[in-house]
Amino acid sequence: MSNKQKVPVTILTGFLGSGKTTLLNKILSEEHGKKIAVIENEYGEVGIDQGLVINADEEVFEMSNGCICCTVRGDLIRVLGNLMKRRDKFDYVLVETTGLADPGPVAQTFFMDDEIRDEFSLDGIVTLVDAAHIEQQLGRSDESSEQVAFADVLILNKTDLVTDEALDNLEARLRDMNRMARVIRSNQANVSIDTVLNLSAFDLDQVLKHRPSFLEPEYPFEWTGVYSLEKGLYEITLDEGPDPTMSLALLLDQGKDETSLSMSAESCLRLYAEKEKLINPGEIVPVGKHVSLQLQSSGTKSFLIDLARASDIGLFTQHTAEEFNLKIIKLKASTSEKENIDQNLSILTPIAERIWVAEHEHDDEVGSFAIEREGDVDPEKLNRWLSRLLSEKGVDIFRTKGFISYSGEARRIVFQGVHMLFTAQPDKEWGNEPRRNQLVFIGRNLDEAEMRKGFDKCLV
Amino acid sequence: MSGIEAFSPKGMLHQGWSAQVDDYAIVCGWAQEGQTFLVGDVAGGLYAYEGKSGKLVWQTKCIHKGGLLAMSIHPDGNAFATAGQDGHVFFWESKECKSTKSLYLGKGWVEHIKWSPNGKFLAVVFKKHVYVFDDKGQEHWRSEEHPSTVSAIVWSNSNELATACYGQVTFFDVVKDKVNQKLEWRGSLVSMALSPDGDIVACGSQDNSVHFWRRSSDQDSEMTGYPGKPSHLAFDQTGTVLATGGSDRVTVWSFQGDGPEGTIPGELMLHTEPISCLAFSNTGMLLASGARDGSVFSWFIQKDGQGDPVGGAFAGDLVSQIAWRPDDGALAAINANGGITVWEFRVRTKAAPKGFG
Repeated sequence: MSNKQKVPVTILTGFLGSGKTTLLNKILSEEHGKKIAVIENEYGEVGIDQGLVINADEEVFEMSNGCICCTVRGDLIRVLGNLMKRRDKFDYVLVETTGLADPGPVAQTFFMDDEIRDEFSLDGIVTLVDAAHIEQQLGRSDESSEQVAFADVLILNKTDLVTDEALDNLEARLRDMNRMARVIRSNQANVSIDTVLNLSAFDLDQVLKHRPSFLEPEYPFEWTGVYSLEKGLYEITLDEGPDPTMSLALLLDQGKDETSLSMSAESCLRLYAEKEKLINPGEIVPVGKHVSLQLQSSGTKSFLIDLARASDIGLFTQHTAEEFNLKIIKLKASTSEKENIDQNLSILTPIAERIWVAEHEHDDEVGSFAIEREGDVDPEKLNRWLSRLLSEKGVDIFRTKGFISYSGEARRIVFQGVHMLFTAQPDKEWGNEPRRNQLVFIGRNLDEAEMRKGFDKCLV
Repeated sequence: MSGIEAFSPKGMLHQGWSAQVDDYAIVCGWAQEGQTFLVGDVAGGLYAYEGKSGKLVWQTKCIHKGGLLAMSIHPDGNAFATAGQDGHVFFWESKECKSTKSLYLGKGWVEHIKWSPNGKFLAVVFKKHVYVFDDKGQEHWRSEEHPSTVSAIVWSNSNELATACYGQVTFFDVVKDKVNQKLEWRGSLVSMALSPDGDIVACGSQDNSVHFWRRSSDQDSEMTGYPGKPSHLAFDQTGTVLATGGSDRVTVWSFQGDGPEGTIPGELMLHTEPISCLAFSNTGMLLASGARDGSVFSWFIQKDGQGDPVGGAFAGDLVSQIAWRPDDGALAAINANGGITVWEFRVRTKAAPKGFG
């Protein structure tokens, strides 16, 4: 009946050899006091008595209307339909899929089937990634990129087989594909059970707690440092880093609180839209301009900042300061005293720092982006726009998540979608929080500019 | 309980007896011409009650490891079979707690079993295959592999078995070992009912529709617009009307004349949650319906599909199955909480059975 507690379900996906069986065995054998039912794919080999393990063939059922969003997993409906009759005997369901499975129908089953929807709630999608082989797999099959795209949690497994650098690159690539997932590294699927169960991944507040930046807009810069400087000449030094250039913008009178940082980020976004000016080592970095530092020569390079008056400056840089070991060093009181610049060195530390969600070149067809806009939207316009967008592009839009501010509604609206299926439900009241809209889309070949334009038209 | 208050039996349903089993009661049926009422629960408990008084005659526990899934009572009423998650089928005698035969199909669930009308064969669904055993438990026939797990079986006559799965209904002659007919349609078929003459095949589909075929003319059609999937279907004994679930109302299609295509179905509205079981009386046009809200109603159905309630009762929890006693003098309901309720069914006054008495 409708007032009963729904049983949470986690979907566990990942390619053959990514460690799903190891993880399942670990979950089942751990003392966690939970009774877990596992629905295992036909090739599964969990051999443990602690849990109720049911084998099921993956039966993907398309409907006569040909709509891919109506495609469900028939085996799950059958098995869960019987399991719900034993509701009091387990607290949790784990569904394991094969590496070849499309996660769409699995997730859709929990939205499409009326009886399953009444008894179970999709708690989250966990994708195991074999760190050593995923690069190959991503190039070869759509399923593996879809499994990454659908994930709420990405477990980067077998990390002992690859270098830290390769892992960082891989993580960056996966984040590009799916910015809302939480990424966890592990060796032999030795992750805490809490990373797999009770994710409440479809509860956005939980998601934000784990990935506070997932709804944030992307910027063409990753880092901001605020330095309190006197009038005088300063040197910016950079060691060798991952790229032969780094673009940045230098602003004066930068506040260090979140609001001023965000305001400056928005104005830097406009500066970055202009073509960058190339600056060679030894040259002066102009204020309020989009510049690109030339870093091709080996060793440490230095550039100059000349301040005619004391100011808190903001440096908005393409990469983090750490990656290039970026330093600001005070040279002299002013440019007029050019002698002995090697003397009086003092390295300055920033009075504030901020990491931004960086925009990357999207190499993969599968990617994600966020829309963030202040103000209210017109519910009817939004509904019309989304219905149209999802009916035309729903096949390529895998997941949608976000908060919306409806005009005239005191509560914020939580938005969730899998392909063309979406729900928009009122959540808590906005209270004193600024009313804004934050939406994340994950999909294949998404037309970001067009979608942003479409959303903006829904604003009141 | 949402939207429905407990109430005492009304109309033609009169207080009978009630009992309680240990777990979710999943299957039930009348045996020995109504002298015995059999109930199975999901934990594998099996119970036999005296049909009249509700006195427990015998019981046994945990007969299928993992859970009991299906039961079929032999047409002579003296034997029955059960199946479960352990891949086993057991044969039983109705009058005492005695298993006479055990069959093992393999690792996997046995979800559907059904005795043929003459009681010679027991059809057993195991994953994508259907097996037919004789009453001694000897394998008599085995189907080809179906394209997906078989979701429903019905005997159209004593030698012909219909199976439903994703995309097709197949009619097998299990004696001559041949396929008599294959009806294809791209959809996940979740339930199936045949008209008593075997000509009309009705299947509930995952996409919230009911699909019909007429075997004699090869015509098919689709009835859409259900808010949920029609998992429950029942033909009356004359094959005139088909009652369907798929929402909180019972939708009744009439096959009179050129129907049901292009006609408006009868809609029986008293339940407040979706229909969870349907059963027509053994004779006459009486329909019993149970719902997830625990309500049970009996209806007098007209040939055009319209109907009037003739009785109502509250069974306490989701009604998992409902069964008319062979003489239609009683109606039994089992529920998700293990509750069993049997009502006497008779006219309260001498007036015609129409409306609440």
